Amino acid sequence: MPEEHDPIHHHVCHYDGARWDDLDHRKYPQEADVVIVGAGTAGGILAYELTKIGLRVVVIEAGPFWNPQSDFASDELSMTHLGWQDTRLVDGNNPLRMGHNNSGRGVGGGSAHWTGVFLPFHESDFRMKTVEGVGADWPLQYEDLAPFYKYIAKEIAVSGPKSFPWGAYQGPFPYPERDPLSANSEMFRLGCERLGIRSVVTPLAINSAPFDGRPPCINRGFCNQGCLPNAKYSSLVHHVPKAIAQGAEFLTDCMVTRVELDERGRAQSVIFTHDGEEYRQRGRVIVLASFAVETPRLLLNSKTAGHPDGLCNSSGTVGKYLMPHSSHDVYGKFEQEIRLYKGTPVMATTQDFYETRLDRGFIRGYTLHAHGARPMAMSTGLARDAGVWGRRLRETMLDYNHYGRVTMVGEVLPDANNRVTLSDEVDEYGMPMAKVTFSYGENDLKLIDHAVEQMKAILKAANGEPEFVVSDTAHLMGGARMGADSQDSVVDQWCRAHDVPNLFICSAAVFPTSGSGNPTATVMALAARTAHYMIDEFKRNNL
Amino acid sequence: MSESMSESMSEFERLRTHYPNYDVMREQEQWDEHTREIVQKRLETLQTYAKLTGEEIQLIKAMAALFLDDNRSGLLAYVVKHFNAKLSSDIGEDQRKVGVPKQKDLIKDGLAALDVLAESEHGNAFAKLSPEQQTSILVGLEREVLTLRTREGRELPARAFFQKMLTETVSAYYSHPQVWSEIGYGGPAYPRGYYRIEFGLTDPWEAKRDA
Repeated sequence: MPEEHDPIHHHVCHYDGARWDDLDHRKYPQEADVVIVGAGTAGGILAYELTKIGLRVVVIEAGPFWNPQSDFASDELSMTHLGWQDTRLVDGNNPLRMGHNNSGRGVGGGSAHWTGVFLPFHESDFRMKTVEGVGADWPLQYEDLAPFYKYIAKEIAVSGPKSFPWGAYQGPFPYPERDPLSANSEMFRLGCERLGIRSVVTPLAINSAPFDGRPPCINRGFCNQGCLPNAKYSSLVHHVPKAIAQGAEFLTDCMVTRVELDERGRAQSVIFTHDGEEYRQRGRVIVLASFAVETPRLLLNSKTAGHPDGLCNSSGTVGKYLMPHSSHDVYGKFEQEIRLYKGTPVMATTQDFYETRLDRGFIRGYTLHAHGARPMAMSTGLARDAGVWGRRLRETMLDYNHYGRVTMVGEVLPDANNRVTLSDEVDEYGMPMAKVTFSYGENDLKLIDHAVEQMKAILKAANGEPEFVVSDTAHLMGGARMGADSQDSVVDQWCRAHDVPNLFICSAAVFPTSGSGNPTATVMALAARTAHYMIDEFKRNNL
Repeated sequence: MSESMSESMSEFERLRTHYPNYDVMREQEQWDEHTREIVQKRLETLQTYAKLTGEEIQLIKAMAALFLDDNRSGLLAYVVKHFNAKLSSDIGEDQRKVGVPKQKDLIKDGLAALDVLAESEHGNAFAKLSPEQQTSILVGLEREVLTLRTREGRELPARAFFQKMLTETVSAYYSHPQVWSEIGYGGPAYPRGYYRIEFGLTDPWEAKRDA
């Protein structure tokens, strides 16, 4: 029995014996019911939900099957490979920083290195076009996702406050809010309080007490480098092992390069490369859970005579309306030590600036967080994005322990010019590299200015001296957006492609707007909702 | 001045640490094995650098000393080792701006072009210039008021080269345990974690300010 109750062993041994070493012995060599491309947050949830009712599921993941105990480390430099490091060409007025900044690679995907912030979107996030007259509406409303936010929060034991003052999701969260708070989060809450800004302990998908064989957080602070104690939710430690126990097969280090259609125009299989060899996996349904850059890249690379501009691209919107969140950081210096390395990085949040206010000169808004930082992230951020190097950098970093930091998650409006296209360069698989073009719009820049002033004010109110603003982005949304009209979107509200009825796209790639807060809770709720729809469709023999 | 100095560089002014008695490596027995192995390797010096020439090594050290305001030889050697590892790796470079050469070419050609620029501006190789002259060149690259050209006359994106060298140098330096100790960073933290995380509290093994 002891092994079963050992949280580490419990979650890393699940794969032993569950797969052959060579890919000629696969679990569903003829055809699976569902083939999922990408083993990140959405892919893990889909695999779990679909295998629960006995569907035969194969998940194909480009990166490795991480073992947290032997693959993760308490170290920034060596853990950058949790991001998607394959080169993307970047362009536009504000070329994006990719890799670890906004993507994942390997089982768990981005959830292996996220900070665990769980914030459902507000009602207004789904109705931008109706309310503001610009951007886009989602083809679903908050009420459609509400039961799935609740379902996921319970399923992964989100910790958070007893009541939540913003938006329609009022709590309570299933697990108690985190206690104690880090000095940086205490500082943030104090600053907010003095300015009359409401703040809360952040809802987190990180255990505040033992849950499901996994221990509570030990405040190690390395969420972005991969959680070693398995206290933080990732699909790697939660949904994936459960899906495997229910029969799912995970093929890792397998890069999908093409989706193939049959003669009726239905998705039939995917082609993937493992160790230089090409393989085919057939499925009755294909799901692309491959995020905002690789999804459009795969669709564009899968063009056929019937789909000359790329698969599912009759609307011409594949790759378009890509959005990051603006995520500038402000560092303030304090007389006392803050020690930004200690504790879960994000533990305090305000959404007082979330909704449109007519007196601000821009639409939509942002979320602010207290956000820890380690020496490499802080020093490279200052050097690269704030022009601080030489004596000034050295002096600043010698006072590392005296800095506090606040960060923003700001809405970026959808713009067709911000997009993923195929470049002329090819990668090791012979596949054209993605080119990612991004420029901020006027509204985005006004919003950033406003947020930066608020972040400075919070630091000041907490008796800090704001010193550095580091421009940054976080997350990616869009590239294969959902919509009610097949003329200007790629999938419907069920994440089902308008053009190919048995092809689904399920990730932040389908977001028509970015929302003014962290996206993962919505990715999770969408994945759960899509899974339930697919199950219904299977039962009705529509798939 | 016990460390051997390369070239004619004299040691930079040593800035004061708040934690003169703290050594993050003292706690290494508390770390998980994988992390300990990674950090210990940073302290091992290489005898040869397969991907770098002698001139390139001197150029990297000269640039790094100014980026970091520190020219202690052990730390600069680690920065060189980091560049050598970068140049040996086939892993992608996350992102590359359209029009910028591939990372390996940007670094290798950029270093060669830096010497061409130093010779034309000040009549000597970059590593042989005074820190003031070197700084003026780096600032010129950062602001793109100087043009970077290979010996064959091909122009390279000056700011992209500057940013690549700066970012990699700073990433390496602030990943070195000696620097962690000096800034009072707690370093690796598994399996122990932290217990006293609130304002004004420290765990017994953390750096204590005594300067």
